[in-house]
Amino acid sequence: MIELAGVSKEFQTRGKRTRALDPVDISVSEHEFVALLGPSGCGKSTVLNMVAGLLAPTTGKVSYRGTPVAGPNGRVGYMTQKDTLLPWRTVADNVGIALELQCRAVTPAQRRERVAQALDLVGLTGFDAHFPAELSGGMRKRAALARMLVYEPETLLLDEPFGALDAQLKIVMHQELLRLTRLRGMTVLFVTHDLSEAIALADRILVFSGRPGHIRSSHAVPFGPDRDVLTVQFEPAFAALYQELWTELKPEIEAPEPRP
Amino acid sequence: MTRIVWRVAFALVVLGIWQAAGSLWGDEWISRPTLVAARIVELARTGLAGHIATTLSEIALGLLIGVPLGTLTGILLGRTRLLSSLLRPVIVAANSVPIVALAPLLIMWFGLGLAPKIALVALVSYFLLFFNTYSGVTTIDDDLIDGLRLMGANRREILRKVVLPATMPWVLSGLKSALPYALIAATVGEMMLARDGLGFLVTQFAGQYDMTGVYAALVVLMILGVLIAELAARTEAWMLRWRTVAGE
Repeated sequence: MIELAGVSKEFQTRGKRTRALDPVDISVSEHEFVALLGPSGCGKSTVLNMVAGLLAPTTGKVSYRGTPVAGPNGRVGYMTQKDTLLPWRTVADNVGIALELQCRAVTPAQRRERVAQALDLVGLTGFDAHFPAELSGGMRKRAALARMLVYEPETLLLDEPFGALDAQLKIVMHQELLRLTRLRGMTVLFVTHDLSEAIALADRILVFSGRPGHIRSSHAVPFGPDRDVLTVQFEPAFAALYQELWTELKPEIEAPEPRP
Repeated sequence: MTRIVWRVAFALVVLGIWQAAGSLWGDEWISRPTLVAARIVELARTGLAGHIATTLSEIALGLLIGVPLGTLTGILLGRTRLLSSLLRPVIVAANSVPIVALAPLLIMWFGLGLAPKIALVALVSYFLLFFNTYSGVTTIDDDLIDGLRLMGANRREILRKVVLPATMPWVLSGLKSALPYALIAATVGEMMLARDGLGFLVTQFAGQYDMTGVYAALVVLMILGVLIAELAARTEAWMLRWRTVAGE
């Protein structure tokens, strides 16, 4: 469903060309949950930006459902570390904004109903009239998640969406995310540097190394779609995969940062 | 409450010193608060309202022209790089001419009526609104725009739902700074050549060496300025409720 063939990316900064991503091939099939795991600065986010159509690849081809991605890809929901809630809109108006757009227009009554559902889903019922600045970081994250889920995009691109959350809330969000994506048959590309998060959520993990980024290996996660995010951590297979990934990532993390 | 008491007390002390100085050295140069107050009352009976109305309508009409035009060009140039690289230097250059220096030119063009003062107010507010709006538009977080584009928003929807609301605080702060400048522009225009307005009153009294009259007109201008600034601040606070909330 999502195909990257020989895709690389170079950035031009102050007259110097830096290669962010060596040519990579990634193929994601429908309903699959793929985690991109690796240290920061290895081009994972660049991959998401290219699938979203916000960046064009320097070489290679990105296609989505067989058609090349050119310009913003309206079939994906994108959530980054930074929540992009509009500060002048209340939580409810932020969550419902996608349904105000011409391409997904619904009646105001329908919009209210779906917003209420989405808020309920992420546990923000009762906060609909608050402005983003009145919420905690975790609540803003949940509002951003609700905003993305309300229009039911078929594919989610998530770039360390839960990076700033505390451990307990993270687990709750993991459970919600897994439940929802399974329920609605969504395809997910999930960028993270957290090994446990990748194992707990994904069907497949692509290990990146930098820089320039390239794919080091691919690992199938031995847990089914009906896994319990909380208990799966105690399975021996979890520990084994963790060990394996850690061995691969360790030299990356220990190696001194190359000075530009 | 106590703060108000202190303020009133301070004002009374200042007025008392002024009154004493006026009685001590004669009131021909510095007048006296009691005389000024009496003059204001007298002026109020003989057409002060008309002068105030003239000045205020010059301000209102000038803002009505300058504010929308400045906002519009600010948004247009802020969103179109080509247009900005073409026209912004021209606007910057035009803005570096002291506006007051244009007053004689405008009077020659537009005559003695309200028109040249309206033009002056329009020019001053145009530049303030343009630069504020332009900064607002160009500092919008691209991630906010990208987020909406990925939801499938078209250009018009991005303008309406992100660009305009994000620029709103900048437009309002431009308006807030434009108001006192508008009062200055209108007054300066009236002082150059006019038949009515508060600026005209000041020059008329000054021409007659009538210091009490000059002070009376200045006090009225001051009150007008304070009221305008207060109105602007209240409007801004109300329009930007979401930001006040953020400050808590």
